[in-house]
Amino acid sequence: MKYLELTVGAVLVYNFVLSRFLGICPFLGVSKRLSTAMGMSGAVIFVMALASCITSAISNYLLEFTIAGTVIKLDFLRILLFILVIAALVQLLEIMMQKLTPSLYRALGIYLPLITTNCAVLGAATINAESGRNVLDSTIFGAFSGVGFALALLLFSSIRERLELAVPPKAFEGTPIALITAGILAMAFTGFAGLC
Amino acid sequence: MKSSRNVMTFAGGIHPHGDGKSLTCYTPVQNAPLLDKYFVILAQNAGKPPIPVVKKGDRVKKYQLLAAADGAVSANLHSPTSGIVSNIRDIQGTHGVPTSAIEISADGLDEADSPFAPIPDWRHADVDILKQRVIEAGIVGMGGASFPTHVKLSPPEGKSVDTLILNGAECEPYLTADHRLMQEFPEKVIRGAAILGRILNIGNIFVGVEINKLDAIAALEHYAGDYGVKIAYLRVRYPQGSEKQLINAITGRTVRSGTLPMDSGCIVQNVATCAALDDAVTLGIPSVERIVTVTGEVVVKPGNFKLKIGTPALEAVRFAGGITEEPGKLVFGGPMMGFAQRSFQVPVCKNTSGILLIPQKQAYNFESSGCIHCGRCVQGCPMNLVPCLLSTAIEAGRFDLAAENHIMDCMECGSCAYVCPDHRPLIQNVRHAKAELRKQMNASKEK
Amino acid sequence: MTFYTALVIMGLLGLTLGAIVGVFVKLFKVEQDNRVELALELLPGANCGGCGRAGCADFARALAAGEVTPGNCPVSSVEQRAAIAMALGIDAGPIEMQQAVVCCRADIGAEEMNYNGVQDCNAANLVAGGPTTCRYGCLGLGSCARVCPFGAIEIVGRVAVVHPELCTGCKQCAKVCPRNVIKMVPANANIHIYCNSPEKAAIKRSLCAAGCIGCRKCEKLLPGKIKFDGMLAQIDYDSPDAITQEDIEKCNCPVHGIMSEKERYAVAKNAASGGKRA
Repeated sequence: MKYLELTVGAVLVYNFVLSRFLGICPFLGVSKRLSTAMGMSGAVIFVMALASCITSAISNYLLEFTIAGTVIKLDFLRILLFILVIAALVQLLEIMMQKLTPSLYRALGIYLPLITTNCAVLGAATINAESGRNVLDSTIFGAFSGVGFALALLLFSSIRERLELAVPPKAFEGTPIALITAGILAMAFTGFAGLC
Repeated sequence: MKSSRNVMTFAGGIHPHGDGKSLTCYTPVQNAPLLDKYFVILAQNAGKPPIPVVKKGDRVKKYQLLAAADGAVSANLHSPTSGIVSNIRDIQGTHGVPTSAIEISADGLDEADSPFAPIPDWRHADVDILKQRVIEAGIVGMGGASFPTHVKLSPPEGKSVDTLILNGAECEPYLTADHRLMQEFPEKVIRGAAILGRILNIGNIFVGVEINKLDAIAALEHYAGDYGVKIAYLRVRYPQGSEKQLINAITGRTVRSGTLPMDSGCIVQNVATCAALDDAVTLGIPSVERIVTVTGEVVVKPGNFKLKIGTPALEAVRFAGGITEEPGKLVFGGPMMGFAQRSFQVPVCKNTSGILLIPQKQAYNFESSGCIHCGRCVQGCPMNLVPCLLSTAIEAGRFDLAAENHIMDCMECGSCAYVCPDHRPLIQNVRHAKAELRKQMNASKEK
Repeated sequence: MTFYTALVIMGLLGLTLGAIVGVFVKLFKVEQDNRVELALELLPGANCGGCGRAGCADFARALAAGEVTPGNCPVSSVEQRAAIAMALGIDAGPIEMQQAVVCCRADIGAEEMNYNGVQDCNAANLVAGGPTTCRYGCLGLGSCARVCPFGAIEIVGRVAVVHPELCTGCKQCAKVCPRNVIKMVPANANIHIYCNSPEKAAIKRSLCAAGCIGCRKCEKLLPGKIKFDGMLAQIDYDSPDAITQEDIEKCNCPVHGIMSEKERYAVAKNAASGGKRA
């Protein structure tokens, strides 16, 4: 039951993009094509799960420990360390993708290294640390937050593919109408509030 | 298979109200007087145009070969009358672009000299001789596509064809050429079908006729038994006369996307094609004339005329008594699938089933405000496509998306455009996209 | 104490992650053509898509692969093109700057037919060969203007006019035009002949008041500067002796078909605002 709550909460109720409004940059940047959005989703799920796992280990075991009777608190290092880990992970991902899926690598372009500064990833890690979850819970939360991000991205990119065919008033063409759509989508997601 | 007494139909399609058939369907086919000049367009068949075998100044007799087929997918052309080849030049063609044509100045004698003899005993004649006759006589599909008939008669190895369907649906509004043909010359149609059946070795022959032509059905039934041909009653519904819809209605089979009717074991021929085939075999005359409906609210005496190939539209309208007011549009074929013409000088071709003059008040300008995805076109589409999606994709320049959504299966019947409450130019968009996609395909082939 | 632990932890973690990334770099090494980077640096970097590729990076890759020549980048200057060719060690290809010209005066010439379909030249051209009486002239429905990445084409009344100061010669308009009425000419040329119809003079005359009637007056008066292609006069842009304003006045074209770009625009504007027909 606890895990159900954790996963459903991460995917739907507290969806990172549509409820917490984190990670908006890639949400708007790579949602023009469904295929690119799928690649991005995969990358984010991978980074979020792994980053949550490692950062939760760090915050549980490295940031507060006792040496020779004195308690050492390193909370001020949290963001620094988290970013270090996330940056390294994204670097790894980038190196691997360049080799394994060059076309996706080119399609994602600047948004791939930008996962480093994707606040959804850092947000997941920080939320884990704040709520004092253990490593397993954090990993599950991270992975499903990634799934939530993917869900939002896939929904939005599908809508945008259709939106491309529509003829909105001149002033709304392009990004404005996309932002309005994102707003409506976020409103729809408020319907999940209170589920858990 | 359903019994032939049932009224059959397909899913989708529309029912055009006020179909204008009553203008012409009660008057008998009239013979047209001889003209001074005929313009025989070379490219009258789908595929390669034939090569002229006469030159300027040559004297030709009626039925004499004018141009010989160039390759397998091509058809012979014969002279519609006797006279002198006065010129071979580019004239305005039926598709708006200039096309090469042989101009014949008639000598008024209409002296016939057929290059081949009748085969009265076709029931026992060699199949190859009959096939050869189809090729010699230059018979093409007279329903509109003008595909050389002999190509359809040689199914490739491994494809078995078990059903021959004659298309007498004539679902296009205004047109009654096939109706009058079936009513006045039923034996020609039925015998032509039987000859085709003998060539293809098929016993299962249907003539599909819409039930708004009961007089034609009665005439056909009089002969059908003698030749072992069955009549299929079809519901009045557009586009009942489309190949795939006809096959579906009569046999219940579906012609899958990207396959030919042959793959479903069926061959469809127009009734006029069968009548021309019968002429070629039993009378030994090539395909040089056809019945054309000259009609429209602005025509003084609309009717069906037996016109020689190469008769300019202007003369055809003159036979019908001229016009009461300036028409808004001149269309070759029916109002749904016909082609608007640039000039009244465009001559009748083998596939011209009608010459339709649309009044100015009907050819009005309309403005469309945008698709609201009401889905009426989806309901109307007989090919189960989504015309509104195709059209919006094309307008946004996304031809790839249109191709993904099977735009190439669209036969441009116009049902969607007919039902669209916003008068959106759906079919023109489809044609545009098809042309663009073909261009892209050719470009990638060249690479 | 806290300070030193923090230092140690940060240092250790940094080292470990650095080492892992280092190993991965070696493991997943990708051979990259450094010429691509080089070309990308030398390209204008406008990402305009004028070359028909998805941005400058894609064009750079195509350059290195030998699929295109530097001249295919429409916005680069002649010097830039030469520099790219030299840096990559490839054939420079044609590098002169070009511009587009709509060689038609449909605004004052050919009659239109009653057309009420899709407002797109390519779609309109499929309907009975297009809604103008002349089959070679501009349809004026603006397909070229929509495709131009630089907004250099304006539909003035019934005809498209190129603004030479905005045109970069990317050829997108010439590619999309169904009538092939848009011609690519050297960018420094200023005077053009505004007709595209190869029809015989009598036919042309019956369809359009502004078509070149092939009287060859200009060819006789300006030898070497104007050549004839069948029934159609054409400026010889390769001529070392460029045509001038005085030349136009000298030959006094009966249909007023030789014009400078400036005059052409003025004439079109005048016709569009209901001015007198020529």
